[in-house]
Amino acid sequence: MNHNTGCLLEIQDLSVRRGNFLLEHINFSLQQNEIFSIIGKTGSGKTLLLEAVAGFYQPDHGKVLYGGTPMCEIPVFRRHIGYLYQDYSLFPHMTAFSNIAYGPKIQGVPKAEIQARVKEIAAQFEIEHILDQYPGTLSGGEQQRVALARALIMRPSLLLLDEPFSALDPVTKRNMYDMIQKIREDFCCSLIFVTHDFAEAERLADRIGVLIDGRLCGIVKSNELYSAQWGLEVLDFLGITTKKSEGLQ
Amino acid sequence: MNRREHNIFQSACMLLTLLTILFIGGNIAVIAFRGIRSLPECLHQPETLFAVYLSIKSACISSILCFLLSIAVSYVLTKTRFFCREAIEILLELTMSLPNIVLGLSMLILFSSPLGKALKSAGFPVVFNSSGIVLAQLVVNLPFAVKLTSTAFRGVDQKLERVAGLLGATQGKCFFTILLPLCKNTLISAFILVWSRALGEFGATLMLVGVTRMKTETLPASIYLDVSTNNLGGALASAFILLLISAVSLGIANHLAKANRKLSRYES
Repeated sequence: MNHNTGCLLEIQDLSVRRGNFLLEHINFSLQQNEIFSIIGKTGSGKTLLLEAVAGFYQPDHGKVLYGGTPMCEIPVFRRHIGYLYQDYSLFPHMTAFSNIAYGPKIQGVPKAEIQARVKEIAAQFEIEHILDQYPGTLSGGEQQRVALARALIMRPSLLLLDEPFSALDPVTKRNMYDMIQKIREDFCCSLIFVTHDFAEAERLADRIGVLIDGRLCGIVKSNELYSAQWGLEVLDFLGITTKKSEGLQ
Repeated sequence: MNRREHNIFQSACMLLTLLTILFIGGNIAVIAFRGIRSLPECLHQPETLFAVYLSIKSACISSILCFLLSIAVSYVLTKTRFFCREAIEILLELTMSLPNIVLGLSMLILFSSPLGKALKSAGFPVVFNSSGIVLAQLVVNLPFAVKLTSTAFRGVDQKLERVAGLLGATQGKCFFTILLPLCKNTLISAFILVWSRALGEFGATLMLVGVTRMKTETLPASIYLDVSTNNLGGALASAFILLLISAVSLGIANHLAKANRKLSRYES
């Protein structure tokens, strides 16, 4: 995989159809160590786009290039991608420790090293005290930290997060925002996260893409979200037209 | 629906429920109370002991084979995409809805053909031989087992397998570390149900291997022979043994299903 160019991921004219829904002509690229956010309404295709980026679906058109190689050509177990689902998808029959240790164990890492690595990452995410517990007994915030630790223990080059903060209370949310920035610094990975919260995207991402009805309407730097030249659809989604008309009244 | 109509509807439903329970319970009671009286005497007869032994042995072998095959078939049906998948599912469902005696007849014709003769000369006689009992039970139970295991596999959230894959698990490792452990209890309870069905199988066995005392005599075959020779006590004793085995296996299956529901709650 070529990481020298700085471009980790390139989506070229990607179209994916699932049932009646069509994700069409998506183009964007992701740089090394960049945080990219995709915002859109519920049902706009955010999760489908994220899953297509992960290579779970064969594109109907276009490509997802990961380090220059089409994603679908890389076997799933060799992709080095972390994926955090909205419900965290922890393995319910394993303790938090076993969840985090799953990746290294599968790859045949010696037991002593697994223990050390899990303890180290658990300390980073402040979850040492819940390592013996099963996912069903953990709070949403704890589950999320276990899921992040499980993904990051494999040192992925790319971390995909599907609405990671939607189920968290405001305090836990703020803590997780800081954690996301820390993840970028400590693990040197690029992140793509989808959300419907503009403030969240503005705060965390370097760039933001707006997805409406399966079309990526534009990509801007996060500080330009409200000042960029958008079409009516996006302005309406961002609530800008409403604000203007309210101002006129 | 006003209050009076509601009361009439509820009373009618309760009456029908009571009649149903009386009907089913009456049958069970006849076997339980009359069978237990004949049991001590029949347990000393070599025919009964042979039937119990043959039934349990053939049910165990056929259920193990059935489950190994059904796990492979279910995995293919639920985790892969290929053009004739639906056709295979329809074929299995059709087999499930066919009377066992029809399946037995088709097997009799199949194994009476040169294939069956070749198998016999290779040391594996099927027709009118006790090894045919295993095959008869297998063909009757396989579609049922595939249905149960497929349902269990479909119940596991696909996201878990995707995550495991991204963490480096190959499909095989994913199967053994995620899919199988999460379905474990459902699969065990399904195995028990399949085993009880195999134990009670009669139609296909009758057609393929016939009913011969101390040769192809399973418990259901023993009941049939006893009734034919006017030995009602022997038939009721065999029926009681089947009832007992079914009750125990049902209890275990229900217990395991309950444990699995608990695990699902943790998952959510």
